[in-house]
Amino acid sequence: MQCVLKWLKRQINTWLLLELVRGLALTGKYLFKPKITIEYPEERTPLSPRFRGLHALRRYDDGEERCIACKLCEVVCPALAIQIDSEEREDGSRRTTRYDIDTTLCIFCGFCEEACPVDAIVETQIFEYATENRQDLYYTKDRLLATGDKYAKQISANLADKSQYN
Amino acid sequence: MTTLFINEEEVTVAAGTSILEACRQSNVDVPYFCYHPELSVAANCRMCLVNVEGWPKPPASCCTPVSEGMKVSTESEALVKDREMAMEYLLIHHPLDCPVCDQGGECKLQDYAMEHGSGKGRYLEEKRIIKDKQLGPFVTTSMTRCIHCTRCVRFADEIAGTGDMGVLNRGDHMEISSVVDECLSSELSGNLPDICPVGALLDGPSHDVSRPWEMTRHQSTCTQCPQGCDISIESRGQDVMRIQPIEGSPEPWLCDRGRFVYDAFRNESRLLKPISKQEKVSWNDAINDSIALLKDKRIGIICSPDWSVEGLSAIRLLRDTAFKNAPVAFDLHRRDKRSFAFEEGFSQTTQQIEDADQVVILGSDLRQRLPLVMQRIRKRVLADKPVVRIGSMRYRTNSELQKDMLIRPRDWVSVIASAIEQVMALGKQAAGMQAWLDATQDRHEAGKVLADALLAETCSLLVGEEIRCHNDAAALIHGLDLLMRGCGHAEANNDGRNLIPEGMNAQALTALFAKDRMSVSDIFEDANQGKLDAILLIGSDPIGDGLFPVQAREALKKVALIQIGAIQGEISDQASVLLPASAYSEVEGTFINMEGRVRTAHHPLEVLGDQRPLWKIMMRLLQALGQDIPAVSLEELRIHMHRFIPELTKVDDKQQDAIFLSSARNRKSILPTQITLRTLDVVSRYSMYREGMWARSSELLRGAGERQKLADVIMHPDTLAAQAGSIATLDTDHGQYQFKIDVRDDISPGVLFISKRGIAGDISNVVSVDINGGSA
Repeated sequence: MQCVLKWLKRQINTWLLLELVRGLALTGKYLFKPKITIEYPEERTPLSPRFRGLHALRRYDDGEERCIACKLCEVVCPALAIQIDSEEREDGSRRTTRYDIDTTLCIFCGFCEEACPVDAIVETQIFEYATENRQDLYYTKDRLLATGDKYAKQISANLADKSQYN
Repeated sequence: MTTLFINEEEVTVAAGTSILEACRQSNVDVPYFCYHPELSVAANCRMCLVNVEGWPKPPASCCTPVSEGMKVSTESEALVKDREMAMEYLLIHHPLDCPVCDQGGECKLQDYAMEHGSGKGRYLEEKRIIKDKQLGPFVTTSMTRCIHCTRCVRFADEIAGTGDMGVLNRGDHMEISSVVDECLSSELSGNLPDICPVGALLDGPSHDVSRPWEMTRHQSTCTQCPQGCDISIESRGQDVMRIQPIEGSPEPWLCDRGRFVYDAFRNESRLLKPISKQEKVSWNDAINDSIALLKDKRIGIICSPDWSVEGLSAIRLLRDTAFKNAPVAFDLHRRDKRSFAFEEGFSQTTQQIEDADQVVILGSDLRQRLPLVMQRIRKRVLADKPVVRIGSMRYRTNSELQKDMLIRPRDWVSVIASAIEQVMALGKQAAGMQAWLDATQDRHEAGKVLADALLAETCSLLVGEEIRCHNDAAALIHGLDLLMRGCGHAEANNDGRNLIPEGMNAQALTALFAKDRMSVSDIFEDANQGKLDAILLIGSDPIGDGLFPVQAREALKKVALIQIGAIQGEISDQASVLLPASAYSEVEGTFINMEGRVRTAHHPLEVLGDQRPLWKIMMRLLQALGQDIPAVSLEELRIHMHRFIPELTKVDDKQQDAIFLSSARNRKSILPTQITLRTLDVVSRYSMYREGMWARSSELLRGAGERQKLADVIMHPDTLAAQAGSIATLDTDHGQYQFKIDVRDDISPGVLFISKRGIAGDISNVVSVDINGGSA
């Protein structure tokens, strides 16, 4: 008896196209729902202040670079993307002569930023740094400082925001 | 022996050991800052507190000797608190600048702050600031980081003996200060950064450049002096950053020459590409050019003692196979080519010298020549053990020697004769003594000093360059040998005969080339007389170093020069072909120091240019000469090396780490000869900062040499009423010279001291001169 009922049910489902109707109903429902995708690049999503994008080197307000060449970022970097050379500057302070980040190696873990005792190296919210050749992905000290100078305000605001989680 | 319990484990140590040393011996960790195994105990850091059962307060373990049945515990709740408080005190004025401090990463204070510190400080007052000291280019200071452990003060007092540093004031105002705000005058100053447990004294040349975790360590042997200290060469990438001593090696310190020579490892004076006729060429062309000069020619071989034993064995293979009977010389200072009664090298270890009843230094500027042996001698003097010296100058020593006799080089014969006479009068005999005595009439009072010292149970004789370079050296050394044998200091276990060699591998060199060795001057003489067609120079610089620059220049006008070396010297301009060889820091190989201690380097520095290990160059030359190649790998070469020096197999089997090669000892009696001399004896002075191709290429050492140098030509004020700054005309066998002279009263009257590297370099080989008065 049961097996007859089962057969009947299947026949109704098949010949009345009920599954198709249900599927189209779901499609129809999303057709009228508000959309969550945006029209990138015209439109953009908001980013977290803790976003980990392109690196930058910061300066103090008086223009002095923050980095003191302690090389903690270099040693903590799991991808070995950072290379630092240092020397004693004429005024006796310890400074880098070379600070390179190879972003093709970088895995954006943010360890460098966490290791830095003077908040010199930071990861900004910039994620659009695609280039036409690989060498432009190799960031030297000048370029990192330039990024830091350009976005100084934004970086400081983000750091202030982040500080509540430390 | 005393038995005590450390953390309930029974430990037996020598009586009088401190608790801290007992803990270290049984691998129990006790934190400390001011204790150092080589220095006296100060007990001022209070970090090494331990509990002793039944004692009311925890004692400082570094200054508390063990007693029988003592029950020590190094871990307890109270100790954790004590250590935390001690750390808090030490950190009160210490700046929080670990990120810019070079010590960061190898800092005791950092480690202990993590292990024993509390993690936060309660001190909110102003921190004090101390002005940095100027301690010369080798040491950078940051005195605010100092925790007043006084290790540096004790080092300057006890080890360096200069007393350059001291402590001023007390309590909060305490300050380490250098007495003279100038560079440290010690040749061991490079050790100061090592002994500073914090970042107050730092290595100058590598300051702010590297971090300890970036270093790759290459264990090697220093070849800058015959001592052959164990060193760890630290490199960062391709750059050499510093050289450090290896913990647990026989010598705890390194001298500045061995430490700062690394400057030359990577500089432009290195020979990196083959050069032929002043142009860089390929290896093939360079080999062909050298073969054209060498094949079927009569050649003389001059080699440096600093190559590895493998390299030296390869030279021997080249000579045996292709250039039979070619003369070989490896010492640029030896005038006398007759073989000596005891050849170069030490019969004793430095420890035995330190422990001997008597030590006699004969004609050696030990502090410059072997700074670490001088350090041992200084330890003796501090322990009130006798040290006497006979020589033509009161060379600076940092310690009061018991007796210090000044003689002229021509007096050596009479000194030894007088000692023999006195020893014979006491009934001590050796065959040949009388004959030696009969050969000379003069006696010198300094002989009594020598004879007195020889009467002791054990006596170490350190024979220096004044005798080794003497033109009658074989006779003098035979006389000394008679004395030592007569007084019983020549037996196998009690052999005190030490001849300070010129360079490393002294015993191996004697074993390899003993029968065929010549004096360098003889090779140049042969070249001058047309008996040679070419000179194969392997690693030394007879124009820059040694006693025979004039002869070298003369000879090289007549014969071709093929130079194989790691570094260019002053002679390199004259070379037809220059072949680059790997330096001592860049080879796998065996080195034997003056005591016979054998060390093998396994993990060499990276080679930057086209250099090849010396043995490969030798094999390549043999191949190009159309000969069979005796060895194609280091293993095969070592088979030959063991054939030449069988004693080395014992070392490879790890049965022992030192060998003593009883070198071809001359038993023939050599009697002193009478020679007519001019009025003044000439002595060429050795300077550790200016001698040797490596040291000369190192800018760091050059700077140090400038600060430490004496005038180029020195006399005693009483000698012919010499006056400082006057110009004197010197008559020699080779002509007349005019030099400005300086006077010092610590040299022997009747002696003219010249610096081989200065204006008077051309008269290095002159034994005596007449002086035509000063013009002043």
